[in-house]
Amino acid sequence: MTDIKHHAYLFDATRCIDCRACMVACSVENNIDMDKTRIWVAGLGVTGEYPILQRGTMVYHCMHCEHPDCMSACPVGAYTKAEDGPVTYNPDLCIGCRYCMNACPFGVPHFDYDKGIVDGAFIDKCTFCPQRIYNGQEPACVQTCPTDALEYGERDELIKRAHERIAAHPDRYIDHVYGEFENGGTSYLILSHVPFKDLGLPELPETPINEVSEKVMEMTIPFALGWGAVLTAVSAGVAAYDKKLALSKVEVKNGKSAEKKAEESK
Amino acid sequence: MKLNITLPKFLRIGTLPLVLILLMAIAAVVAFTRYAFGIGAISDLSYSYPWGFWISFDLFTGVVISSGGFLMAGTVYILRIKEFEPLLRPSVLTAFLGYIMVAVALLVDLGQPLRIWYMMIHWNHTSVLLEIGICVMSYLTVLAIEFSPVVLERFPKLHKAAHLIHRYIMPFVILGVVLSTLHQSSLGSLLLIQPQKLHPLWWTPILPILFFASAISVGLSMIILESSLSSRYFQRGLETHLLAKLAKALPIALGVYLVLKFGELAIAGDLGYLFTSGIMSLLFWAEILIGVLIPMIWFSIEKNRTSPNALLTGAIITLLGLILNRFNVSWFAVKHPDPLFYVPTFMGNVDYFPTFPEVAVSIGIFSAGIMAFGLLAKYFPVFEAEHHHVEEVHETVHGLHPAPTPGDD
Amino acid sequence: MTQTISRRDFLKMGAATAGALAVGSMLPPKVAQAARGAGHLNAEGDGFIPSMCEMCVWRCGLVAKVVDGKVVKLDGNPEHPHSRGKLCPRGQSGLMNTYDPDRVLTPLVRVGKRGEGLFRKASWEEALDIVAANMLKIKEQYGPEAMVFSSTHNLSQVQFENLLYAFGSPNYGTQRSLCFNAMITAFQLTYGVEEPARNYEDVEFILMVGRNMMEAISTSETGELAHAIDRGAKLVYLDPRYTKTASKATEWIPIRPGTDSAFLLAMINIITQNELADCDFVKKYTVGCDGIVAEMQKYTPAWAEQITGIPAATIERIAREYAAAKHNALAHPGWRTSNFINSFQTERAIATLNALSGNVLTAGGCLSAEVAAEGAGLGAPKQPPYPRISALRLDGAPWKYPLVPLKLGVFQELRDAILTGEPYQAHGWFISRQNPILSLPDRAKTLEAFGKMDFIATVDIIMNDTAWFSDVVLPEASYLERYDPLLPVGDKAFLRQPVVEPQGEAKSALWIYKQLGERLGLGDFFQYKDEEDYIRQQLKPLRVSLEEVIEKGYAEMPEEEDDGEITFNTPSGKIEIYSETLKNAGFSPWPTWEEPPMPKEDEFYLLTGKVAQHSQFGTQNNQLLHKYSDEPRLWMNAKTASQLGLEMDDWVAVTSAVGQVHTKLLATEAIRPDCVYLTAGYGHLSKGLKTAYGVGASDSALHVTYTDPISGGQALSQTFVTVKKA
Ligand SMILES: Nc1nc2c(c(=O)[nH]1)N[C@H]1C(S)=C(S)[C@@H](COP(=O)(O)OP(=O)(O)OC[C@H]3O[C@@H](n4cnc5c(=O)[nH]c(N)nc54)[C@H](O)[C@@H]3O)O[C@H]1N2
Ligand SMILES: Nc1nc2c(c(=O)[nH]1)N[C@H]1C(S)=C(S)[C@@H](COP(=O)(O)OP(=O)(O)OC[C@H]3O[C@@H](n4cnc5c(=O)[nH]c(N)nc54)[C@H](O)[C@@H]3O)O[C@H]1N2
Ligand code: SF4
Ligand code: SF4
Ligand code: SF4
Ligand code: SF4
Ligand code: SF4
Ligand SMILES: [Mo]
Repeated sequence: MTDIKHHAYLFDATRCIDCRACMVACSVENNIDMDKTRIWVAGLGVTGEYPILQRGTMVYHCMHCEHPDCMSACPVGAYTKAEDGPVTYNPDLCIGCRYCMNACPFGVPHFDYDKGIVDGAFIDKCTFCPQRIYNGQEPACVQTCPTDALEYGERDELIKRAHERIAAHPDRYIDHVYGEFENGGTSYLILSHVPFKDLGLPELPETPINEVSEKVMEMTIPFALGWGAVLTAVSAGVAAYDKKLALSKVEVKNGKSAEKKAEESK
Repeated sequence: MKLNITLPKFLRIGTLPLVLILLMAIAAVVAFTRYAFGIGAISDLSYSYPWGFWISFDLFTGVVISSGGFLMAGTVYILRIKEFEPLLRPSVLTAFLGYIMVAVALLVDLGQPLRIWYMMIHWNHTSVLLEIGICVMSYLTVLAIEFSPVVLERFPKLHKAAHLIHRYIMPFVILGVVLSTLHQSSLGSLLLIQPQKLHPLWWTPILPILFFASAISVGLSMIILESSLSSRYFQRGLETHLLAKLAKALPIALGVYLVLKFGELAIAGDLGYLFTSGIMSLLFWAEILIGVLIPMIWFSIEKNRTSPNALLTGAIITLLGLILNRFNVSWFAVKHPDPLFYVPTFMGNVDYFPTFPEVAVSIGIFSAGIMAFGLLAKYFPVFEAEHHHVEEVHETVHGLHPAPTPGDD
Repeated sequence: MTQTISRRDFLKMGAATAGALAVGSMLPPKVAQAARGAGHLNAEGDGFIPSMCEMCVWRCGLVAKVVDGKVVKLDGNPEHPHSRGKLCPRGQSGLMNTYDPDRVLTPLVRVGKRGEGLFRKASWEEALDIVAANMLKIKEQYGPEAMVFSSTHNLSQVQFENLLYAFGSPNYGTQRSLCFNAMITAFQLTYGVEEPARNYEDVEFILMVGRNMMEAISTSETGELAHAIDRGAKLVYLDPRYTKTASKATEWIPIRPGTDSAFLLAMINIITQNELADCDFVKKYTVGCDGIVAEMQKYTPAWAEQITGIPAATIERIAREYAAAKHNALAHPGWRTSNFINSFQTERAIATLNALSGNVLTAGGCLSAEVAAEGAGLGAPKQPPYPRISALRLDGAPWKYPLVPLKLGVFQELRDAILTGEPYQAHGWFISRQNPILSLPDRAKTLEAFGKMDFIATVDIIMNDTAWFSDVVLPEASYLERYDPLLPVGDKAFLRQPVVEPQGEAKSALWIYKQLGERLGLGDFFQYKDEEDYIRQQLKPLRVSLEEVIEKGYAEMPEEEDDGEITFNTPSGKIEIYSETLKNAGFSPWPTWEEPPMPKEDEFYLLTGKVAQHSQFGTQNNQLLHKYSDEPRLWMNAKTASQLGLEMDDWVAVTSAVGQVHTKLLATEAIRPDCVYLTAGYGHLSKGLKTAYGVGASDSALHVTYTDPISGGQALSQTFVTVKKA
C-alpha cells in the first residue's frame, strides 16, 4: 500500500507551539481512554529569568527504536519491531510485569493501573498508526500538526532534510539530529534549539542499550552448562576423595595401625 | 501479653501467630482490592515508577535472602562437608518458603497474574526477566524435591518415597546450584538495561557478578540469623560452632565483593561519584559500611564469632547493608525520566513513595512465610537435632544426609 | 465563588462519568442520509464526509470519518484553504462537542427559579409556541425594540439577523465590541476595509501587537506564520506575557499594557523623520503624507521609552528594521484588540505603519485591502422589505458612538442600557450561539440584566451558563449534525453538511429561525422549505446541484474580475492616515497618543486571553480539550509572588472594583511583574456542565466595563486587581 521502506517521523522543536492538536488527534484516532495518553509534552517549559526567557517543547511518544529495549526486555515477546520501522505491542501475550517500562529509556510504555483482573491490565503505547500509514495516510498526530513541527516519511530522507535544515540555519539549531544514532538509531528524529537534555531526552550512546544485557543473556546457556559440569566434576571428585579417605581409614584400622605399633615399638 | 478471656484450647494461639494472622488478613484485603480495582487503586506506582517497593522487597530482597538454601545444599551435598548437616534442612526450608513468597508477591504485582505461566511457553530469549522467571520456577521445583523428604519422613508409609528421592538427589542439587547461580546474578542483569536510569555508582556491566558475590554473604548471614532466631523461638540448642565457621567465611566473601565493586568503579573511572553525588554517595557508603566494612571487621574478631548474640547482631547488620544494596539498585538509585512540564494530570506522578497497602501486602506475605516456617518446624523434622525421638526414621531414611556417591551403587 | 474541588479529584470524577472516549455511547447512531445518497457512506454507514469545523470562527474544512453511523475521527480537509489538511486541537476534539454527555437534546422550559437549573422537557411545538407568545407579548406591550437579540458570528447568522430585522428590533448584540471593534473600525476608517487579509508568502519582518497567533489559533494563518519564521522572517512581538507566540518570536517586547500606541507612534516617528518610508507609494495613495512628519515629531523614541519602558534605542532599531523590509514588512492588524480605551489608536498606528511600508498594494505585498464582498455571487431566498425601525439603539450606536459601524455595535453598552432602562426599558432577550454571561465584562451586571428580563430564550447545544439562566432552551444540532448556509472562501463556496443525523430532538438554526419566524407571523421572510432548499437557492446562480456540492464539499465560484485599479473604499478613495471623518466626529484625525489609566501601587493589570486548547466560553466542557489543557491558574510574575509571600498553587483571592474570584496561583517568569493573567472561559456557573463546572475562575466576573468612545470596543485589559492569599 505504501512505498515507504522505513517509516519515520521528524520533530522540529523550533516549530512546535505546544498546541497539543497531535495529542487530541491521537486520542481520537486510537480511541484512548480519557485518563490515558500515548503522546505528551515533555521538556522544561519556560526557562530563564524575566525578561530573558526561552521555551522548550518536546512532543513525546514512542521512538520506534531500531533496537527496541522494550522488545529486548519483554519476557514473553509481546513487542515486535517491523522491518519497515514501527514497534508494536501484542496484548495477547503480555503478563503485565512492566519490565518494558523500566527498560524503555524514554518512559514510553504505559500501564493500565486502574484495571483489575477482570478487565485485564495492559500496556499501551504509540503504534505508529498502522491503520493509517498502511492506507496512505500520515499518522494522526503528524497529519494535524498546524506548524508541521511533526513530519512523516522515509527515515533516510528525513535525516537528510534535518541536516539540510541545520545547515540552512546553523544559528537556530543544535547541530545534531537526535535519534539518528542514539541507542542505535530511532525512527523518531528530533531537531532542537535547546539542549536535548532540556527537552527531557536522555543522553544515550550510539550502541544500543540492550547490547550489554543481550550479551549476558547469550552467555547464559553456555555458562549454565559449564557450571553444571564443573559442579558435577567437583562433587564426583569430592565423593571419590571421601571414599578414598574412608577406605584409608579402614586401612588404618586394619593394617596401618600395626605399622604404627611397630614403629612405636622401635 | 495475656488475654483475659479464656479460650478453648484449640483456639489458643500465641501472640506471635495471632499478629501474623492479622497481618496476613490485612494483606488479603489489600490483594482483593488490587484484583478488583487495579494496582493503581492501592499503590503509588505510576508511569514513571512501574516498579516500587514490591520489586525491591519481595523480589530483590526475597530472592537474595533465600540464597542460604543453595549454599548449604552445595556445601553439604557437593562439598560433602557433613558437619553442616544440621543447618541444611532449615536453610532449604527458608529458601523454599522464600521463593514461594516471591511467587505469591509476583501474583500481586503482575498485571495479568493468571498469565504467569506464559513465561513457560512464550520465550523471548533476550529477556533477563524471562531467565529469572524460568530459573525461579525451576528452582522452586528443585527446592520442593530437596525438601520433600522432610515431609515424607513424617509419614511412615511414605518412607520409601523419601528414600528414593534421597537416592537420586545429586542431579537436583547440582541443578539447584546452577539455577541459583544464574538467577541470583541475573537479578543484577535485570538492571543492565537501564544504564541511563541507574546511578553510575551502581550500574556496571558486572552487576550480575556483584549480585552473585553479595548473595553468598547474604546467604551465610541468613543462615546465622535464622538459626539464631529459631533456636530462641523453639528453645533449641544453637550450633554455635557451625555458625562460627560460616562467620569466618563472611569476611572473605565480603572482601571479594568489596574488591570487585571498587575495582570496577576504579576501572570505569567512576570513583569521583563516591563523594560528589550527594544523597547517592551517602546511600552507597551506607550500604558499603553497613553491609561490607563493618561486618568484615565484626566477623574478623574471634570473640564475635563465638558469641551467639554477637553472631546474630553481625548477621543482622550484614543483611541490612546488603538489602540496602538491593533497594538502592532497584529503587533508590533509579532515576526515571525528568518530570514533564505538561502532562495530563493522570501522568503527573513522578515521585514514588510506597503506600501503606503496598507495604502491607509484602508484610502479609512475609508473615505467612514466618508462620509457615513455624508450623513446618513444629510438625516436621526440620531441625533434626530435636527429633532424635524418631530414631528409626533418622537412621533408615536420612533424607537429607549426603547422597550416596555415584560409585556407591 | 470558591473552588474547593481539586483538578485531580475532578478529573477522576470526570473519568468516572465519562470512561473511555464516549464516542456515540449515548444514543443509537443515525446515518447522515444525504451523505449516504452522495456515496460517502457504504451500506454499513462507514465512510468519509467533507464538511466544516465550527469550533471557532476560522471554519476550517474537515473530513469526518464515520463508522457505523458515528463520527470517529476528524481530519483537516486538504482542499480547504483554512485547514489545508490540518485541524487545531479544538478542531480535532470537535466530535466530543457532538458527543458531549451534557448535550441538550430536547427543548427545555424552565420550572424552577432562574439560575436554579430546573427545567422540564418540552416538544418543539410547545417550546416554540412559548417563545413566540412571549416575544409577541413584549412586542405588543413595549414595541419590538424591547426585544434584544444577540448572537456571535456563525454561518446561520444571516437568518438570525433576518429574524431580528423582520421582528423590527434595532437591538442587536454581537461579540464584536468585546473582540475586534478597535481593529475593524480603525481599518474601516483608514483603508475602507474591515479586516485586511495577510499574506505571509514573502514576508520578511512581522510586527505583532498582542496577536497571540500560536495560541489563539487560526489553523492556516498559524501555519503560515510558523513557516515564515522557519524561513527566517523576523517576528517582533509585543505582549506583556511571554506567550507561545513570544517564544517563537525573534524579539519579544514585554510592553506595558495599554502603551502599544506610544511604541508604534515612535516607530512612525523614526520612519517619517528619517524618510524611511516608501515615499512614492505613500504620496500617491495616502491622505496625510504631508502633515505626518510634523504631526509625529513629538513622538520620539525617548518619549516612548518613558511611557512604555522599552529603551529608545530598541524602538529605533525595530523601526529601522521594519522600514528596511519595505513592502515585505507586515504590521499585523491583530484580532481581539479590545484591550484599552486607546486600542483604537493602537490600531490606527498599525494601519499607518502598513501604509508606510507600502505593503498594501505592491504585488506580493503582505497586506491586502481588497474588499471581499461576503456571499456575492450566491443566491438567497426572496423576502419582503424589513419594517422601518424608529427606536434608538440601546447600545448607543450611532447616537452616542457616532463612528461605531452599526453591524459591530457596542454589546456591553446594550447590557448597561438594560440595567439603566435608558433610553427605554428592554424586556426580552433572544440569544443564539453566544454565552454573554461569561463573555461580557462584569458578570454580576450581566446577571442583573438577565434579572430585569421578562423572558429569555437561548439557542445552544449544551447547557451553557446563558442557557442555565434562560426560560426556554432550544437545542441546536451540533455542527457535525446540520446544514448551514454556504461559506465562500476564495474561489469556492464551502458546505457544512451533516456527517451524522442530529441526536435527540436537536434541529439546525435554519430550521429553528424559520419555525419561530412563522409563529411570529413573519413567515414571508423565511421562504425556504428546509435547509437543503435554502442551499439550493444559494447555489442557483452557480448552476451547481446540491448533490454535487454534498459530494465535493464545495462549489466553484466564478472568478471575479480584477481591474488592477487601486482604490480604497474611504471618502477620499485613498488610505486615510489623516481622517476627515474622525475630525468631523470630534476626534483626532491623526493616530495619536491617549494616556490610559494605570493601576495603583498595590494593583495589577488583569490580562485576559485564549489558550490553544479552548475556544472562548463554550468548549471547557469538551472532555478531550479538558484532558489536554493546562490547569487554569492566575499567572503572576514569580518574583512578585514571592515578594507578596505567595507560592505556586496557593489559593488567592483576586479582587477588582466589581468582583472577586478565588483561584490557584501560577508563579511564572513569563509575565511582567505589574500584570496578572487569567485564561478566559473558565469559572462556569452552570451546573449543567459536568466537566467544566468548578474548574478555574472567571475573569469576566472581575472586568470593569469601559468603552472606547471611537470604536465602541470594551477595554478588557483596563481592569486592575489586587491579589491576596485566600
Ligand atoms: N485557541 C483559540 N483560538 C482562537 C480563539 C479561541 O478562543 N481559542 N478565539 C478566536 C477569536 S474570536 C479571536 S478574537 C482571536 C483572538 O486572538 P488574539 O487577539 O491573538 O488573542 P487573545 O488571547 O484574546 O489576546 C492576545 C494577547 O493580548 C495580550 N494583551 C493584553 N493586553 C495587552 C496590551 O495592552 N498590549 C499588548 N500588546 N498585548 C496585550 C494578552 O496577554 C494576550 O496574550 O482568536 C481566535 N482564535
Ligand atoms: N474576559 C474575556 N472576555 C472576552 C474575551 C476574552 O478574551 N476575555 N474575548 C472576547 C472575544 S474575542 C469574543 S469573540 C467573545 C466571544 O463571546 P461569545 O460569543 O459570547 O462566546 P462563545 O464562547 O463564542 O459562545 C459560544 C456559545 O455557543 C455555544 N455553541 C457552540 N456550538 C454551537 C452550535 O453549534 N450552535 C449553537 N446554537 N450554539 C453553539 C456554546 O455552547 C457557547 O455557549 O468574547 C469576548 N469576551
Ligand atoms: S500539533 Fe504540532 S505544534 Fe501542536 S503540539 Fe503537536 S507537534 Fe507541537
Ligand atoms: S521508545 Fe521505548 S517503547 Fe518505543 S521502541 Fe524504543 S524502547 Fe520501545
Ligand atoms: S508488561 Fe507486558 S509487554 Fe511489558 S515487558 Fe511485561 S509482559 Fe512484556
Ligand atoms: S503515531 Fe499514531 S499512535 Fe503514535 S502518537 Fe501518533 S497518533 Fe498516536
Ligand atoms: S482554527 Fe481550529 S477550531 Fe477554528 S475552525 Fe479551524 S480547526 Fe476548527
Ligand atoms: Mo473574538
